[in-house]
Amino acid sequence: MTVDTLPYTTFFKAKKGIMSWLFTLDHKRVALLYLYSIMTFFLVGASLGILMRLELFHPGKDIVEPHTYNQIFTLHGVIMIFLFIIPSIPAVFGNFFLPLLLGTDDVAFPKLNLFSFWLYVIGALFALGTLVLGDGPADTGWTFYAPYSVRTGTNVTMSVVAAFVLGFSSILTGLNFIVTIHRLRTPGMGFNQMPLFAWSLYATSWIQLLATPVIGITLLMIVAERVFGVGLFDPSIGGDPVLYQHMFWIYSHPAVYIMALPAMGIVSEIIPTFAQRTIFGYKAIAYSSMAIAFIGYFVWGHHMFTSGMSGPAAYIFSILTFLVAIPTSIKVFNWLATLYKGSINIETPLLFALAFIFNFLIGGLTGLVNGALAADIHLHDTYFVVGHFHYVMFGGTGFAFFGALHYWFPKIWGKMYNKKVANTAFATLLIGFNILYFPMIILGIMGMPRRYYDYLPEFTFWNQISTVGSWITVSSLIVLIVNLFVAANKGKKAPDNPWDGITLEWQTKSPPPLENFDKMPKIPEGGPYNYPNAKSSS
Amino acid sequence: MDHTFHLPNSGHNFDAKASKMGMWLFLYTELLLFGGLFLVYMVYRELNSEAFLLASFKLNVWMGTFNTVLLITSSMTIAMSITALQKGNKILSIRLMWITILAALGFLIVKYFEWGAKFDHGLFPGMDHYQQLPTGERLYFYLYFFMTGLHGLHVIVGAVFIMFVIRGVKKGSVTPERYSLSENAGLYWHLVDLIWIYLFPLFYLIH
Amino acid sequence: MSDKENIHISSYKEHVSTWLALILLTFMTVFVSVFGAELRTLSVATAMIIATVKATAVGYYFMHLKYDPKIYKIMMATVLGLFVFFMLMITLDYITR
Ligand code: HEM
Ligand SMILES: [Cu+2]
Repeated sequence: MTVDTLPYTTFFKAKKGIMSWLFTLDHKRVALLYLYSIMTFFLVGASLGILMRLELFHPGKDIVEPHTYNQIFTLHGVIMIFLFIIPSIPAVFGNFFLPLLLGTDDVAFPKLNLFSFWLYVIGALFALGTLVLGDGPADTGWTFYAPYSVRTGTNVTMSVVAAFVLGFSSILTGLNFIVTIHRLRTPGMGFNQMPLFAWSLYATSWIQLLATPVIGITLLMIVAERVFGVGLFDPSIGGDPVLYQHMFWIYSHPAVYIMALPAMGIVSEIIPTFAQRTIFGYKAIAYSSMAIAFIGYFVWGHHMFTSGMSGPAAYIFSILTFLVAIPTSIKVFNWLATLYKGSINIETPLLFALAFIFNFLIGGLTGLVNGALAADIHLHDTYFVVGHFHYVMFGGTGFAFFGALHYWFPKIWGKMYNKKVANTAFATLLIGFNILYFPMIILGIMGMPRRYYDYLPEFTFWNQISTVGSWITVSSLIVLIVNLFVAANKGKKAPDNPWDGITLEWQTKSPPPLENFDKMPKIPEGGPYNYPNAKSSS
Repeated sequence: MDHTFHLPNSGHNFDAKASKMGMWLFLYTELLLFGGLFLVYMVYRELNSEAFLLASFKLNVWMGTFNTVLLITSSMTIAMSITALQKGNKILSIRLMWITILAALGFLIVKYFEWGAKFDHGLFPGMDHYQQLPTGERLYFYLYFFMTGLHGLHVIVGAVFIMFVIRGVKKGSVTPERYSLSENAGLYWHLVDLIWIYLFPLFYLIH
Repeated sequence: MSDKENIHISSYKEHVSTWLALILLTFMTVFVSVFGAELRTLSVATAMIIATVKATAVGYYFMHLKYDPKIYKIMMATVLGLFVFFMLMITLDYITR
């Protein structure tokens, strides 16, 4: 931001002062506000993760009380889910790049967008407020299962209100994106000429919009139950706690696609750019996003196989769960087919995209194991599940998030980072990540339950490996972030289109001016990924 | 930079279609918010149908019917006020909106008396009489207060929304050419009506 | 999207007839439920069917869905379909326990 020689005013400089940031109506600035907040919470969440791993280095009570440990994993879960991963890609890269990819200058409702951000901040304050107010952070796990969440003395009410407010922030972001996509595409760009990231955001937004209200109302019921002392999930008045689980997962399973779909969209952007080749199966990828969003609503029961749900319901949910794997694998095959015979340019973003595929494969396949009725009886609530969802959320979405950060970094800041450092950080992150979580999968199969501060001595070996992995993971994350931080301030100037991409964001300057485009962007002929020199794709 | 260039598809343009679509999307979230409660209602009624039946006799059908008529009528007046505005008749439009707000007020007053009677009988969750009810009836009253309470909140929000429209029409920001706000307030109000259309038979008419 | 400027203004007459229909249906459900106590299970179903007819009328005429672009109907149908699915699956769980 020190370069003053640019012949135009970037969005960084268009307005001055802290107020011009906090109350900005520019989607790019809102996106950066999100980026800074989300990264902060990610680091807080990761520190809690490290703390848990330290406690688990050795069997027995070492550094935290059992009760504190329960609060730590709950806060870790709440932060990582509601403050990091759900907003991550949509709120940061969706906000910044959706208008650019569509060739417009903002989202449909800029004020609403700012409002979503402020809701996010309020929600975050509530979530962290539990640290100092009431009887400490909730100790229920991020799922707030009744009846325990209603009985415990910890400050569940405030955590739940936080999730409620954050839900509304997420709903409004989704609403904004849907209208933006319907109304603000550049003239000549039909739905089928949209970049795939826009498609994935469209599918995601529908989930945010239609699933989140269900958890909103469910959380309100929990609040009411705590306030009035009686409630709808209270067995003493005839309530059924399993119904809470239904309501919770009606949202929270689709929510995993709020996490996964945008990540898949990122991968679908990165791969054609670095293969310099038309994406294989554009429509298959686009429509499979919609299919995933749709089928994603039908499978929530797979979280309740051991909760006393009826047999027939369990079979049906299990079968439906297997169906979601189909559109997901359609995507993977299409990505691989795009790479095949492409002129591959190995850069940091591509590495992250490939790591996404690798990690997501493990995450997805372990997910199917959980979705199989018989296997899940054994694996439910063990470390197998913990390993599985970290592979999907961190190994999948987390890696895609960092991939997107490296992909669009030169566009956002107009600077290039040190690629060697970035690649090194990537490599150690991938290794550290796998050392951290693969042992959890093994531990789960061995039978180690989740959500305990302690374990039997026979689990010691793999737990220690895992803890060592957590150190490597976090050190790599620090290197990765510092590298980008340095580059944003002192990096070499990057060209407007460093990766030879052809989606519309590369047609404007880096960093973009306030209005994004100073002339009409040109949509590439023959589809958004029709690379002029590419070998023909079949 | 060329300061005269403006994208035709700018997000900062006024776009009536966008704001209408945004409103509809918001209504879907409202529908599913109540939808969650309807799901809970459905399960508990299935499990306690006799108790729900008995409990429902404690509600006053005629008050409920009166309120239903009020809401349906107000739904008509707000729809008419949009027509009036579109046809350029601002005064009629404002009057019709005031009638809608009055109906909302009437609805809330009746609700106040209904709730008041239940409080007097100690039927609010946590009160003495409530605690002695059989479990199914307790669920019923819990749901009754929760759902009609949330609905009542929406009635208030809707009425305030309509007041904003009235102010807009008076100030000239809502006009026969630019009536999005009034249309959106109307949509919101109809939603309030729609939800009541289901609440009414589910609580008052189980007989 | 095709932005044909087809501003349709609903007529007062249409509003009044919708209102009339809604009021009639309301009295019908009240009547069935208060005086038809023997037909209990039947009356749950009729009450819900009548409510749905009323809701459709509100959506179609008051909320203008009848004259809106098709996309609004598609979206509404999706939302309702989803909700019905939620109901079905939860019911399935409870009736087969
Ligand atoms: C530095 C990285 C991380 C470490 C060391 C870490 C470690 C852990 C551990 C050990 C647990 C299990 C606690 C237990 O069951 O006893 C856990 C739970 C969890 N983690 Fe992480 N994690 C990390 C990053 C993430 C990320 C990036 C996400 C999501 C995006 C995430 C989401 C969760 C969730 C949702 C839980 C479940 C909490 C609960 O049981 O309620 N974690 N984490
Ligand atoms: Cu799931």
